[in-house]
Amino acid sequence: MKRSFAGATFLLGLAMVMLGALGAAAQSPPSAFGPPAEQQAAPPAFSAPPKAAPLQARGPLGGVLGWVAQTQQKMQRQLATAVKRLKSGNALSAGLLLAGLSFGYGIVHAVGPGHGKAIISSYVIANEETVRRGILISFLAAGLQALTAVALVSLLLVALNATGFQVNAWVNQLETVSYGLIALVGLYLLVTELIRLWRRWRPATETAHDHGHHHHDHHGHDHAHADGEGGACNHIVDARDIAGPLSWKKVLAVVVSVGIRPCSGAVLVLIFALTQGLFWAGVAATFAMAFGTAITVAVLATMALGSRELALKLGGGDSRWVDAVWTTCAIGGALVVLTIGLLLFAASLGPARPF
Amino acid sequence: MAHWAHRGRQFFLTALLMAAAVTGFAPSAGAHPHVWATVRSEIVFGPDHNITGIRHAWTFDEFYTAMAVQGLDANGDGVYSKEELEPLAKVNVDSLKEFAYFTFVRVGGDEKFLPLKPPVDYWVEYDDTVLTLHFTLPLETPLDPRDKAVTIDVYDPSFFVAFGFAEKAPVKVAGSPAVGCSANVDTPDPESAEAAKALSEAFFSQLGPGSDYGSQFAQSVMVKCTPQ
Repeated sequence: MKRSFAGATFLLGLAMVMLGALGAAAQSPPSAFGPPAEQQAAPPAFSAPPKAAPLQARGPLGGVLGWVAQTQQKMQRQLATAVKRLKSGNALSAGLLLAGLSFGYGIVHAVGPGHGKAIISSYVIANEETVRRGILISFLAAGLQALTAVALVSLLLVALNATGFQVNAWVNQLETVSYGLIALVGLYLLVTELIRLWRRWRPATETAHDHGHHHHDHHGHDHAHADGEGGACNHIVDARDIAGPLSWKKVLAVVVSVGIRPCSGAVLVLIFALTQGLFWAGVAATFAMAFGTAITVAVLATMALGSRELALKLGGGDSRWVDAVWTTCAIGGALVVLTIGLLLFAASLGPARPF
Repeated sequence: MAHWAHRGRQFFLTALLMAAAVTGFAPSAGAHPHVWATVRSEIVFGPDHNITGIRHAWTFDEFYTAMAVQGLDANGDGVYSKEELEPLAKVNVDSLKEFAYFTFVRVGGDEKFLPLKPPVDYWVEYDDTVLTLHFTLPLETPLDPRDKAVTIDVYDPSFFVAFGFAEKAPVKVAGSPAVGCSANVDTPDPESAEAAKALSEAFFSQLGPGSDYGSQFAQSVMVKCTPQ
């Protein structure tokens, strides 16, 4: 599990470096879309734009909150500078800088809401998913978010010549769809779990050996993750061993429900890069950002799974305890997904934002 | 019996741990801004020395600017004329209404926000890098700051937009204020009891979607008069 994660990290890192190099190669001609800004008419003689004072926050935590906000602002400004430097300065170093900045921005950015970290963590807890699958789902969802952003901006702005506000409207629509789908996934998880519980509590006319809700239809894959931890606690290894079969249908439902909503930050970077005549740089930045986002989400999902593991261990091998933990995780996780989905869905139906 | 009570406690603790893992750092980081706006405000006084409104100039970051002007160069001449940008100003001020114009006016220590009228004299200015939205917000009822100090807060409760004062001349007075009246930035004082109360309120309210997280970043203007 560690090996495959490291492998994925390495591959993606390599891809980023290659994208950076590609960007350097694509430097001439400097713009694929739209005229470079230098060719535009000289700016009219406005007074220079005002410089912002460092943002401050109130309360005992004000210092920390202000610092977090200032850091985000600084990162965003550096991103803008990096994109612009691609046109003038050393394209290779600027490209690498952009990739690195975007990556860092993605990591930090994902800590805020809207990147499916709560959804994915709850999903892997509610289902008998393994750490490896948690990481896989995080990366797929972040990758799809990046793809949606790139597809949306290329289709609307590059192909259809739409306005930025139309893109914004689309982002909002997709957001609503995404939240609705998340609520449906939550509902589905909840209903299937409740049906399973109901079947179990019915007079035991069915199979005598029904181990709670653990599937016994193993699919070759299932034993892989018991490595290295055997012997410590047999019951636990049992529970981990009997991970649910990898249901691509379920995984896809989660990935699509989260990933169909493009990250607003990525859309902004893409449009900015486009207006600078460097769309490819925006695409590279978007994927580097998604990579950072995926890491944050994967870490949180892994933490969630780790805490479930801990909960299972606390029972000291009591099978009723293990059963109770699994059931609580399944129902609790499903409820969290459903609740978050509904709340966000309702909130997304609110009035359109001015900015 | 004791065994199960112990179990129950353990169960509760682990549930708590899991909940923390699921929500991640949400309470500490909360929402994060996607749009940055640099605020310059003028407090407008009428001939009778009452505050009649607030004249805002909000300058947006380059990313938002790029998004906002994208596709608005209708004739494709590379210049964003006043006519081409006019619809943008209209969309902005129209949709600001649902968000209380991100401007919250209070008298003295009151909790209640005073009503504002729809913006007048609005336009956007684009210097090829950043966009500035200008608009004037009339107060429904003019206020006399000589009675009680007036506080004007600018913030987005959801913190999607981060408003921050300009470094230079963030606040001015315009029109005819009475002698001795001035408008100044009210710098946050982390030590004050009021600030602590605001924080604990913000902390709890941010857990829901109708978050008031952004109020911690309120940019405050205080209009005060000293008797002459």
